[in-house]
Amino acid sequence: MNDYVLGQPEPPRTKLGARFAVFGLVIVLVVGLLTTRLFYIQVVSGGYYAGLAQDALSTTEPMTAARGLIYDRAGRPVAINVPSYVVRVRPGDLPFTDRDTVVSRLSQLLNMSSSDIIQALDRNANQRYEYVNIATDVPEDVARLIDEESRDLPGVDVETQEAREYEYGPLLSHVLGYTGAVTADDLADPDLQPEGYLNNDQIGKTGVEATFETDLRGTYGSEQVERDVNGRITRTVSIDQQPVAGDSLELTIDTQIQREAQEALDWATGIVDLTRGVVIVMNPQDGEILAMVSNPSYDDNLFAQGISTDEYQALINDPNRPLVNYAISDQFPPGSTYKLVTGSGALMDGVITPDTLVQTAPYISIGPYKYWDWNKRGFGPLNVTQGFADSSDTFFYQMAGDLGADRLAYWAQQFGFGQKTGIDLPGEVRGIIPTNDWKQSVFGQDVFPGEVYQAGIGQGYDAATPLQVLNAYAALANGGTLYVPQIVRRVLAPDGSVVQDFQPQVLQQVGVSQDVLETMRLAAREVVTTRHTFNLVDEPLVVAGKTGTAEFGTRDAEGRLPFHTWFVAFVPNFTATQSGDPAKTDSQLAIVAFAYNSNTKGNAATEIVKYFLQEHYHLGVDLTRPDLLQQDNFYSN
Amino acid sequence: MTAMRVERAPTSSLLARPESGSWRSLDIQLAFYALALAIIGLLMAWTNSTEGGPLAAGSTFTRGLMWFAVAIVAFTVSAAFDYRWLRTFSWLLYLVNIGLLLLTMAIGIEINGAQRWISVAGLTFQFSEISKVLMIAVLATFLAHRADRIKSLSTIVGAGLLTAPPFALIMIQPDLGTALVLVAIMVGALFLAGASLRWMLLLAAAALATLPVIWSLLLPYQQLRVLSFLDPTSDPTGAGFQVAQAQIAVGSGGIFGKGLTAGAASGLLPVQSTDFAFAVLLEELGFIGGLVVFLLFIGLIWRVLVIGWRSESVFGVAFAGGTAAMIVFQMLVNAGMVAGIMPVTGIPLPFITHGGASLVSTAIALGLLQSINIRRARAPSTS
Repeated sequence: MNDYVLGQPEPPRTKLGARFAVFGLVIVLVVGLLTTRLFYIQVVSGGYYAGLAQDALSTTEPMTAARGLIYDRAGRPVAINVPSYVVRVRPGDLPFTDRDTVVSRLSQLLNMSSSDIIQALDRNANQRYEYVNIATDVPEDVARLIDEESRDLPGVDVETQEAREYEYGPLLSHVLGYTGAVTADDLADPDLQPEGYLNNDQIGKTGVEATFETDLRGTYGSEQVERDVNGRITRTVSIDQQPVAGDSLELTIDTQIQREAQEALDWATGIVDLTRGVVIVMNPQDGEILAMVSNPSYDDNLFAQGISTDEYQALINDPNRPLVNYAISDQFPPGSTYKLVTGSGALMDGVITPDTLVQTAPYISIGPYKYWDWNKRGFGPLNVTQGFADSSDTFFYQMAGDLGADRLAYWAQQFGFGQKTGIDLPGEVRGIIPTNDWKQSVFGQDVFPGEVYQAGIGQGYDAATPLQVLNAYAALANGGTLYVPQIVRRVLAPDGSVVQDFQPQVLQQVGVSQDVLETMRLAAREVVTTRHTFNLVDEPLVVAGKTGTAEFGTRDAEGRLPFHTWFVAFVPNFTATQSGDPAKTDSQLAIVAFAYNSNTKGNAATEIVKYFLQEHYHLGVDLTRPDLLQQDNFYSN
Repeated sequence: MTAMRVERAPTSSLLARPESGSWRSLDIQLAFYALALAIIGLLMAWTNSTEGGPLAAGSTFTRGLMWFAVAIVAFTVSAAFDYRWLRTFSWLLYLVNIGLLLLTMAIGIEINGAQRWISVAGLTFQFSEISKVLMIAVLATFLAHRADRIKSLSTIVGAGLLTAPPFALIMIQPDLGTALVLVAIMVGALFLAGASLRWMLLLAAAALATLPVIWSLLLPYQQLRVLSFLDPTSDPTGAGFQVAQAQIAVGSGGIFGKGLTAGAASGLLPVQSTDFAFAVLLEELGFIGGLVVFLLFIGLIWRVLVIGWRSESVFGVAFAGGTAAMIVFQMLVNAGMVAGIMPVTGIPLPFITHGGASLVSTAIALGLLQSINIRRARAPSTS
């Protein structure tokens, strides 16, 4: 057949012809099918697909707004934004089969654990086409490497984003807080819905970053962009809404004073190894917080840069809980500082007059129980000023006993105990003031007389935050106005104009007469002049205040309890020629120091305040007594 | 019959060839259609050259131009080559084919999980493409040898046994699409050469029955592709995403298209993905552009079949059948994929898809057909 010659019989050829015809028909059918299909897509539904093409290409993208900055009261920037390289992944673009290799390579490049990366990848498992941040603040060389290897790292890209930088790190961490990645809970929060948080957004987690989140965040804009098939933005079509940068905050904090307070606390910590401590400085005339230090602290930049699980675990597992702001978020027995309440209440309710002499004793008995004075000897007959100055426990047991639990609690509330001060920081606790109702509700019985004694000297059930103690004495110093302590002075627009100027806000007027307050101020001065605070009186500065020693925990073998020490003081206004007068209500500064579990020979808190005052007022003397900071069990009420 | 004979005389005289095979008997139409398609392919390479522009070294266009030149040479050499030598060489060709595929397995480059490419002097080359034309030649030779027993079952079984090793080697790469092209070539050659229809249908039915077994042999990503074709929403970023994007791109092209380079610029399709070059063409040149391409293909296949018909030899018929089946099958699968009626398999559309091996392979097949056409007249001259 292959040598078939024209003219020879042809039957096979006609059959072959049929096959050619069938073959041709198949071809026509195939091309016809394809043409029909193309006609349908391109001609019949062309308009529909053209619309889809427009949609597929152009998407509405949010435009982030620059976060507002934070300044201290002197205008020093304390929280700023810096451009930082962010490594992001769009999980939808990362094939599951490549996931392990990509994760292990990223972990190598970014020096992160694989589990951290996987956790980040799975953060929003139901939205696989939204970017998630894997690492922020990535060094430039690493960012470049990742960019170069992008072929082998599908779904991974490097972007420049603004990151938060805290100029003073641990010094202001408890006040500023930090920003961090939004959580699934944040995104689900109905209150935050209108704000339009993005999956890879940052949000203020604590501190003023959290309380002023709405102001700082600004308003996000939106734009129409076109993307190519790889998701890269090729063109901005239009800007629907320009983003508006967030407002800035001006703190009441003065970084300089903050540093002095921190130095004073660190100085004592260096000697006695304090595990926790607080120093707060306030202007008693308007409630503005000038410094707020809580030890131990942490570096909020760790969070701004995206803290690793290990670092976070270390902070969480630290028994001294560096993330807790002890100035407001934990409560302690206020000890003898509370005698301000008991003394004022006794004077107001007529239990005593300023001149009444009360017999003190080594102890007072109720049934079989003995309630000892701190010096175990008593002080003889004392008036209220002397009782306060010597901090006689038996004096104030009797005052508390005569007032009763509920009246004592009433006067405590007058000074702001047992309620939040309302400072604009998250996590404030309210403290405890025992009343009969309270004890009934918790324990089902009234406050025992012995417990009333305890409550009268700031022990037993009494619990207060360092800020409450300071605020009570600030009210004493200013003549009875209890302010809401203020941490932010003003909110400023990006152009510097004032959006909001926070005026001093009165929490309540302390219902104590001016006479009684003056008596108590003078008594607080007596604390210093009688050398109850050792050589503090030798400072070239008029200071009034009250020490406190608050026992807690369990007794040791010799029946002694560990204790915290307190010192809360105010500095009456003075000039170059005129020294301060504690009788007046013109104090410019109030300070509290709290030394947790200090167990020192002398009052550690007093030494801290002394150190601070020397530094702050440039007193030019050094009367600090490191010897008093030696560990011992000497009670120095 | 007699009536036909009467009419046939002038026709055959018109088609009669001079004594010696001559370039004048080159099928100009076939060459024209092929050239037109190749130029459209170059045009697409031009519009799809993104980074650095079409004239940059190593761009899709410059590489396309180079392969175009190679294809012209391959076409000319194949046409000049006396196809009858293929019978002598056929076993050698077959072994070369197997050898090249084994070589690919040994030293091939793996891209996207499939080992299909050989890199020579910086250019990647897919030997499985060459395997297509080699198999056309080998099968045509085999069927010519069995001209007198063309109807027997053993002819079909023999063709199947010849096709099985390269089929298996390409499946292993794994490249299901190209492997299926070999099957299409075999069926086309057998059918046109006159193999028993009854046995072919029976064996086809048997093959269909083994589909579940084949399914279980498919790799997960291949299974996924088939599944995502059946339900494109199941995997919106993977293969299904490409199908959906291709539909949008093609559909938005409308009747007249968006104009050259508008498709590549629209970014609806990854231009690197050469399998979708036809989608870009449809987006840029519209339904009309697609129609022109289809008509050129119809013309080309028409000429292929005419050459087969006129060769009046089993070899020529089988060669034409294999070549036509190859082109039609690839059209059906590639254009069908772009139009959303076929799964994504990675089969190139001849001429249009940027790929050197595919173009050269097609050029050789068409060149050999020209060789058949040129030398056809010699046989009658000896009688």
